[in-house]
Amino acid sequence: MVYRVGIDIGGAFTDLVAYDDETGEFVWVKDETTPHDPSIGVLNTVVKSKVDFSKVYSIIHGQTLVINTIIERKGAKVGLITTKGYRDVLELQRSNRRDMYNFRYKKPQSLIPRYLRLEVDERIMSDGTILKPLNEEDVKKAMEKLLREGVESICISFINSYANPIHEIKAGEIVRKSTDLPITLGHEITREWREYERTATAVLNAYVKPKLEKYLGKLESEFIKHGFSRKPFVMLSSGGVASFDFAKKYPIYTIESGPVAGVIGGIHVAKLIGEKNVIILDGGSTTTKASLVEDLTSRVHTEYYVERTRFTAGYPVRVPVVDTFEIGNGGTSIAWIDEIGNLRVGPKAAGAYPGPACYGKGGKEPTVTDAYVVNGLINPEYLLGGAMKIYRELSAKTIKEKIADHYNISVEEASEGIIKLANENAAYAIRVVSVQRGYDPRDFTLIAHGGSGPMFAPFISEELEIKKIIVPVIPPGVFSAWGMLTTDIRHDLVVTEIIRLDRENASKRVNEIYRELEAKMLSIFKEELGVAEIVLQRYADMRYYGQEHTVKVPIPSSNINDSEVKKIIERFNEYHEREYAFRLDSPVEIVNFHLVGEYRVKKFELKELNNMVDSIDEAIMQERKIYINGDELNVLVYNKQKMSPRFRIEGPAIIEDPTSTILVLASQRAVVDKYGNVNVLRGE
Amino acid sequence: MSKKDIFTLEIIKNGLITANEEMFYAFGRTAKSPVIYEVLDYAVGITDAKGELVAQAPGVPGFSGVLDFVAKEVLEKWNGEMQSGDVYILNVPYKSGTHLNDVTLAMPVFYKDELISLILNKGHWSEVGGMHFGSWTSDSTEIYQEGAQFPCVRLYREGKPNRDVIDIILENSRLPLHTLGDMEAQAASMKVAARRIEKLIEKYGIENVKYAMEKIINDGYKLALLNLKKLPKGVFEAEDYLDDDGLTDKPVYVRVKVTITDEEFIADFTGSGSVKGSIASPYPATVSGVRETYMAVTDPRADLSGGYFKPLKVIAPPGSAFNPVKPAPTSTYWEAMSYATDLVWKALAPHVPDKLTAGHFLSILATILGGIDDRTGEPFAIVEPQAGGWGAGYDMDGESGLVACGDGETYIASNEVYEKHMPILVERYCLNIENGTGHGKFRGGFGVIKDYRVLCSEASFTVSIGRNKFPPWGVAGGMNGTPNYCVIYKQGEEPKIVRKVAAVKLKKGDMVSLRSGGGGGWGDPLERDPELVRMDVKNEYITLETAREIYGVVLDPKTLNINWEETKKLREQLKKKKK
Repeated sequence: MVYRVGIDIGGAFTDLVAYDDETGEFVWVKDETTPHDPSIGVLNTVVKSKVDFSKVYSIIHGQTLVINTIIERKGAKVGLITTKGYRDVLELQRSNRRDMYNFRYKKPQSLIPRYLRLEVDERIMSDGTILKPLNEEDVKKAMEKLLREGVESICISFINSYANPIHEIKAGEIVRKSTDLPITLGHEITREWREYERTATAVLNAYVKPKLEKYLGKLESEFIKHGFSRKPFVMLSSGGVASFDFAKKYPIYTIESGPVAGVIGGIHVAKLIGEKNVIILDGGSTTTKASLVEDLTSRVHTEYYVERTRFTAGYPVRVPVVDTFEIGNGGTSIAWIDEIGNLRVGPKAAGAYPGPACYGKGGKEPTVTDAYVVNGLINPEYLLGGAMKIYRELSAKTIKEKIADHYNISVEEASEGIIKLANENAAYAIRVVSVQRGYDPRDFTLIAHGGSGPMFAPFISEELEIKKIIVPVIPPGVFSAWGMLTTDIRHDLVVTEIIRLDRENASKRVNEIYRELEAKMLSIFKEELGVAEIVLQRYADMRYYGQEHTVKVPIPSSNINDSEVKKIIERFNEYHEREYAFRLDSPVEIVNFHLVGEYRVKKFELKELNNMVDSIDEAIMQERKIYINGDELNVLVYNKQKMSPRFRIEGPAIIEDPTSTILVLASQRAVVDKYGNVNVLRGE
Repeated sequence: MSKKDIFTLEIIKNGLITANEEMFYAFGRTAKSPVIYEVLDYAVGITDAKGELVAQAPGVPGFSGVLDFVAKEVLEKWNGEMQSGDVYILNVPYKSGTHLNDVTLAMPVFYKDELISLILNKGHWSEVGGMHFGSWTSDSTEIYQEGAQFPCVRLYREGKPNRDVIDIILENSRLPLHTLGDMEAQAASMKVAARRIEKLIEKYGIENVKYAMEKIINDGYKLALLNLKKLPKGVFEAEDYLDDDGLTDKPVYVRVKVTITDEEFIADFTGSGSVKGSIASPYPATVSGVRETYMAVTDPRADLSGGYFKPLKVIAPPGSAFNPVKPAPTSTYWEAMSYATDLVWKALAPHVPDKLTAGHFLSILATILGGIDDRTGEPFAIVEPQAGGWGAGYDMDGESGLVACGDGETYIASNEVYEKHMPILVERYCLNIENGTGHGKFRGGFGVIKDYRVLCSEASFTVSIGRNKFPPWGVAGGMNGTPNYCVIYKQGEEPKIVRKVAAVKLKKGDMVSLRSGGGGGWGDPLERDPELVRMDVKNEYITLETAREIYGVVLDPKTLNINWEETKKLREQLKKKKK
């Protein structure tokens, strides 16, 4: 057994990375994504990779099937059974009007029409006691109706089930007697309070479940046919991985499984080079994503929404997701002039097809990539190592006609305007994950990956006074798939129970809850992997009594006594002050108990570089004319593949390889570390 | 300015907008009152040296129009004497405010000796004194009963807190620590914006920053004129009634005349009656209310700037419900203010169908339910607006259970959270199907029913409900919506229907049922697609009888299949009857 394999499905391509534990060699292949049945694209990469799957001991898979099924509204016909008096929770939602001046505002539509939302008599109180027992006849009747209507998946979600799930469990048993359809119980997906958010999350799980069961089942049997003999894993939105069996039951936990892998890869790079606090910038072709990592730990929260924008509420998904911010700004974002004559970039993008004008595939709109080509920042002869033909004249033509002529300026000036605005958009994403969350971006190192990440980063670092940028040695196209190979097997358990820490016996109950969660965690891992050596980390969502918002605080794993409680409160005060800039004298309470369990996989090192060439001069590819900051200059272009750790390049300069271009501005310099990561530094 | 710098200007513009956004988040993150960080009952803005808005971020749409009035008052009073580091404090409603709880701070930004900008932050303070706890009340007859007044005085002088003023403020508050905390958070967040503006000046030069501000205002004006071109021109009128005058049960007549030309959008409330109680909308609040509809009909997503609002004029005779004069009380000003929004909306809805719906439930149904939790001996209080039904559009049914126009990104609380914190049981939280909605070719959305059962020995209940006597209006033959009301169920007593009550005592086991109305319909119900009617019956939004009697659609009671022949006959019959 020598290989571990990561397979990532993206919008345009499916990537496979295989790492040979014995030789340290990587294999990576890509093939087109096949949206109608993504398993075809996956299996194409498997064949193409020529990896002997009987020697593979681990497969980790990231997919976009869950999110696409939701976005395209192609999920199952779901029936919901809920508490009497609460039939309309999915339709009422939280009643907010996010697009507040739009008097024709529409909420996200309930994924279940009213006639498939049925009530049963039962009631649990907020302390978990039973006010009204479950009326089992109601459940049977509801099931009869739902089956008559031809539902394909069942969701059961009751009020206060986070405090006591007994009725959901009972109802589930009754339902199971009359059908083999997939069943989702609200409390199984999340034990957090708030009826709308919990129900909506469970319903989304039920909505995607039949499709995911089928898809993962098919992949599993295909992997076996290729000789694979272990259990494959899926990437979770929390940054961990879990078995296919887990994902079949709880597919909603994988909703962001693709993008998250890039963050995990970024953390692994940071770890290898000794950085602790980093912001990871993923500049893709249509969007830019930013994620902040403090002390090598990403911010994992359960406040995620699908389809949420500045103007739409979206659907809440209360499962652990790595905190990322995404903006519609990437390499193929379209530049346009708005009705009052101002230049804009994005959020519309040309994507892979028709793509930027310079691809010559019929793209007529000017894009950020066209601006790079016109101003010489991208090498027209060298994109994908020259494998792709680039037509500079098409870029120049569309930028002239659509932008430059409007302002009566040169094509180069117009291109620079497009580049500036794209940089500004990317910088905004960084501001959101740092400044708006109470962090100072100057305290962080920027890890820039993706096709356009290393192009945005030098400008962002000037704007936000970030001292250091790292462009990882891993090719941007497969960074996410590579990131998967670095993940641990992880599960999160979250349960809402409110404990005021100034009350007597508070520590007793706190210990009890964590112990219950830990026992449950152990049994999950036992069942999944048959392992017991797992690393547990406790967290608590805490707040001042009387407040609504909480702060996530790490909790020691030892037995918690009164003096520990004091320390926890003090730590909460510190975290609260950082996030909200003040502390209070009020009593402190725990709202959510959060336990993370991880089974640590063997990590691999990046291979150290041999000195490629003796002299920096040998790395020089050409001298190129570029247009930057209103000036035309000649800069040296270096071959990234020939860079050695001793070399130091003063800006302005360009470093290229077949898949990416790194810009070094005049005020900056670049060095290469022993693994081949390029560090761009500013200041002293 | 050279041609190529036009893009730099774009970046400075974005910088100013981001500075404002960061002030918004900083205040939200640091404020001590839930009404700030939960309800987002605040607004921030940046103006140029003349007090024209260059960036504005309101947490609720009702605050879109109140900041530039403050800037202008500050400039009028202090111009020439202003120093760097000064902060001014204002809350007097008539000229620049809403009610006394809404306190605005203003901070000038200088470059060398030149005034460049004013930074503004208006937030709802939990306590400013007055006759009742929490300061705002529905039974005041003079502003003096509603709290302390801060008439544009210096809270900070050259960067130092002005102890004299601060001591007076704190002495007048029942919650001095909250008040001080909110005040400090407000001032600190403004410094965030000031620093960003100073950085922009440092990086891009003072001339470019000034030019960018000018460009924002000019661009806003340009965009507004372009949008006005798309609107129908002419004079549009609407009238309506407030349920009462704030103190007695007598309805008050209100009206508007909207004039739209290529350059102007004028809302004239002349002819509207006056009120007695605290429901009057101060002129700046009236302008805010009209700005909401102005945004809705022009471009709901346009950046808010002085330039964008330049074509808008609001005329409201002094002494009317829309322009009270000193010493009129204004602490529940939103009641009349929502009518300023709604009247303009009503006048224009038939003419701008792609932007406006039929009338919605309008009232925020401000609710307070509080008492002492027997289990802990600690006080609890629910203070909340309710959601309700919105009107139909020319091509779509209305939305159900949405907050009113005065609220925006406002979240109705989770019932599980309420039940955990308070001795109440939310027995029902569902669509208000039983009262129906405004039927039409497209029907209004449904209101909401929320039943609170009291579980502690004693509680107190206050509610202020509008649009009870005069329901949401339909358009183009669509029926009117249904009224908002509340039912109080006391044990051993007949249920009582109410619309405004203050501090009603409730006992364990008593229940209050809040019921918001459905929105108005659009178009003749007899023209509704029978398939939609069938689905409405299947979904139990309407009954078989309603389908038959109002929509003229005959369904098989068992299969719900449409009987097309009978439907055709019945619809013809009903049409004749209507004529």
